[in-house]
Amino acid sequence: MPNAAQPLLRVRDLTVEFATDQGIVRAVDSVSFDLQAGETLGLVGESGCGKTVTGLSILGLIPSPPGRVVAGSIEFMGRDLTQLGEAELRRIRGSEISMIFQEPMTALNPVFRVGSQMMDVLRLHQGLSRRQAHSAAIEMLGKVGIPLPHKRVDDYPHQLSGGMRQRVMIAMALSCNPKLLVADEPTTALDVTTQAQVLEQILSLQQEFGMAMILVTHDLGVVAETCRQAVIMYCGSIIENAAVDTMFSQPRHPYTAGLLSSIPRVREKKVAELPVIPGMVPDLLHLPPGCRFADRCAKVHDRCRAEPPPLATTENIPGKVACYDPN
Amino acid sequence: MSDAATQIQQAHGDSLWIKAFRKFRHDRVGMWSLGVVMLYAIVALGVIAGWWATDWAAVTGPKWAPASAEYWFGTNIIGQDIFARALYSTRTAFEVGFVVALGSTMLGAGLGAVAGFFSGRWIDEVVIWLMGVLDSVPFILLVAAIAYSLQGSPWAMHVAMIATFWITTARLVRGEVIKLKSLEYVEAAQAIGVSQLLIIFRHILPNTSHILLVQATISFVAAIKSEVILSFLGLGVKDGMSWGLMISESTFEVLAGFFNNFIAASVFMFGLVMAFNMFSDALQDALDPRSVKES
Amino acid sequence: MTRTDVSGTARGAQPLLEVRGLKKYFPLRGGWLGQVQKQVKAVDGVSFTIDSGRTLGLVGESGCGKSTLGRAVLYLQPPTAGEVSIDGELLSVSDKSRLQAKRRDMQIVFQDPFASLNPRRTVAQILREPLDVHRRGTPAERRERVEELLNVVGLRANALNRYPHEFSGGQRQRIGIARALALEPKFIVADEPVSALDVSVQSQVLNLIERLQAEQGIAFLFISHDLAVIQHVSDAVAVMYLGRIVEQAPAEALYSQPRHPYTRALLSAIPVPDPQRRSRRIVLQGDLPSPVDPPLGCAFHSRCPLAVERCRVETPQLESVQNEPGHTVACFMADR
Repeated sequence: MPNAAQPLLRVRDLTVEFATDQGIVRAVDSVSFDLQAGETLGLVGESGCGKTVTGLSILGLIPSPPGRVVAGSIEFMGRDLTQLGEAELRRIRGSEISMIFQEPMTALNPVFRVGSQMMDVLRLHQGLSRRQAHSAAIEMLGKVGIPLPHKRVDDYPHQLSGGMRQRVMIAMALSCNPKLLVADEPTTALDVTTQAQVLEQILSLQQEFGMAMILVTHDLGVVAETCRQAVIMYCGSIIENAAVDTMFSQPRHPYTAGLLSSIPRVREKKVAELPVIPGMVPDLLHLPPGCRFADRCAKVHDRCRAEPPPLATTENIPGKVACYDPN
Repeated sequence: MSDAATQIQQAHGDSLWIKAFRKFRHDRVGMWSLGVVMLYAIVALGVIAGWWATDWAAVTGPKWAPASAEYWFGTNIIGQDIFARALYSTRTAFEVGFVVALGSTMLGAGLGAVAGFFSGRWIDEVVIWLMGVLDSVPFILLVAAIAYSLQGSPWAMHVAMIATFWITTARLVRGEVIKLKSLEYVEAAQAIGVSQLLIIFRHILPNTSHILLVQATISFVAAIKSEVILSFLGLGVKDGMSWGLMISESTFEVLAGFFNNFIAASVFMFGLVMAFNMFSDALQDALDPRSVKES
Repeated sequence: MTRTDVSGTARGAQPLLEVRGLKKYFPLRGGWLGQVQKQVKAVDGVSFTIDSGRTLGLVGESGCGKSTLGRAVLYLQPPTAGEVSIDGELLSVSDKSRLQAKRRDMQIVFQDPFASLNPRRTVAQILREPLDVHRRGTPAERRERVEELLNVVGLRANALNRYPHEFSGGQRQRIGIARALALEPKFIVADEPVSALDVSVQSQVLNLIERLQAEQGIAFLFISHDLAVIQHVSDAVAVMYLGRIVEQAPAEALYSQPRHPYTRALLSAIPVPDPQRRSRRIVLQGDLPSPVDPPLGCAFHSRCPLAVERCRVETPQLESVQNEPGHTVACFMADR
């Protein structure tokens, strides 16, 4: 998506490694993408592809003995986040960039009331008094669609349902009006009907606050409904990056195409057998020398096994794909 | 916070033991302490095999000889070689530690597993009640009572220790079993029709072995330390020699200004207990899936 | 309660599985003497039948009782009330040996590939256990059968001496399926068998289940929260809400003509991987009520866009839809 304006977030060649007993694992390998202000980007892939690690590294939340950012830059409004110290990062977290996680029960502290947890954030970043923070918290709870917010503000997390807890997390994340929200599988743990409610809430709040969002997920359906840009990851690297509108109708990378056709979905007519991507995701410790998808690809050439294809644009076709023979 | 590192580890599918072994290998303190423990074990084996310290009871030297080339720690009040006695006591320590560790772990595992599996039912209540009762009796009184009722049998001390040490193991196992019994592989066994007893002992208990191993090492050390107190009170080792007995006989000597006996026993014991404790800590760290070693 | 035949076509033969008025309540104790104060009504009166070789899909969200129902049908957690019969024979806790024998005919596949296999046992031991417990054949025959099972689910023989942690999620599910097949059951409860797997692996396992059913004529109770998966595997579908079935129909009818407002909301809530089709979505308000002493009247009325006064006081029963055999719905406001 060529855009003259300066992107809000610019990730270049981000590489993150983890030290395990059996050697170094490269969880994220030279990942690059841009995000404009107010835009929604879907970071998609299956478990182990590196999407969560990418999301965490934006906020510098990679646990540091095993993990390390070894290369690349994350430029947020012109500043490289990988070069900032912990104190600076803490100032940014919660106020400029916020994050919400998958499991609302473990993200909220069970021994503190919901309201007081929200007030912590508000008082820390905006210096509000207790009373101001209290009313701001109630207002925010109402904004995320929690009924009777003046009562819910004094509840403990276990007194709320999963969907409500997730909304509390969203309220906390948005309370200081951040420019970027990183949402790591925010609705995966929720029921389908609750997921619909929460997603709608997130989208309307995003519009209201003019916030950009990175949605980390494995659910292509969610991406189709909420995102404008999609980044597909496989084994630590990006294999396709395109506008959602075009990618779903014309997936370029064989993995993307395979994924779209093999996902069970409600169809008008039942199919006899579901199309399948044969084989398994390769072990991150023993990656093949060439393209990581080569062993499972129907269109594999010799060239694919020798050298991994770079993520590149081809003429006349928007979007980037890492394949020597894209569709 | 997603456990990205653990996720990556899990994807490579290593068993708990292999991972633990690897982690342990890099733990320097752990490896050294294991080395020391092995050294002691060899000493004990040598005593049993008759390679050394066979003359521990022989009165060969003068009374209270100072440390010399012949008697490395000197002699005690009767003229026995202190060093030989300390060596012999290593065997006693291992024997007591081993028997008590084995006995208390097995008893604790068995009762704990049954209590945990049937938690909430009467059998669980009985075991908990039993644990409470035994816990509330001061250790020494219990041992004295058992020692008296067993009328001077050499196993009185072992039985008494097993009868008290099983409780901690049982508590831990019970807690773990309560967690494990709701896992799907237990349900699968029930769906197949496996009997409850088999489910407990074949399916659930093996999955608590990491707890059992650590508890066994803790019991081993506790047994050695308790033996000192018991022997001091005359309730411990009857025939044979132990560090506790050495310390007990040395009280008299210390008053007279002769410390060698006391020092020998204490140093030997301190060495083994310290090393075993550190080994036990390192073992626990290695078996903990969440602990991360700074490389 | 209307009993609905899964296949949709009238069959003279008796259905393989018949469930009548099944209830499973969990007592909550409290107060001074620990007396039973309230009940969690996890399953509150469910009836259905499944013919041999057919699949009934059971769909619902968390807390609706579908997993509890699956286990109650197998008598893993014996029901509080109601009857279950397999091949015309009633299951009962009082006759333990008979129940034990009947276990051969009914098995279960679980959701979590990590927790459903004992990490301390090899694949060979896991697959042999059902054969050993029920003493099927000689030891040599059992060894052969175990190898055969591995083959059927698409795993190689070198898997025999390996431990579960050496396999991926999808492979572990296959081992779980092999274990369920060991005794040649007539009926399998599949409790969310693909929900914990990566999307690209889900289709592999689903195809396997379909093939097994076609080859061996096993009846399935397929439990899932994923409507797309259910559509793919089921002959008929039952929708559960708060312990009750609110709609049941042959698969095609349910997806093309859902009658119950909850079914409609469920279908419209699924995110569709097609940015062009942003259909009008029914977003439900409110949350699931607690299954502890559920409200009077229709369990769904607190969130239902069509609710009227009657819905708050009377509980609707499953009634047939005109001109659609096998389609029943429990709603006063559904057009029938």
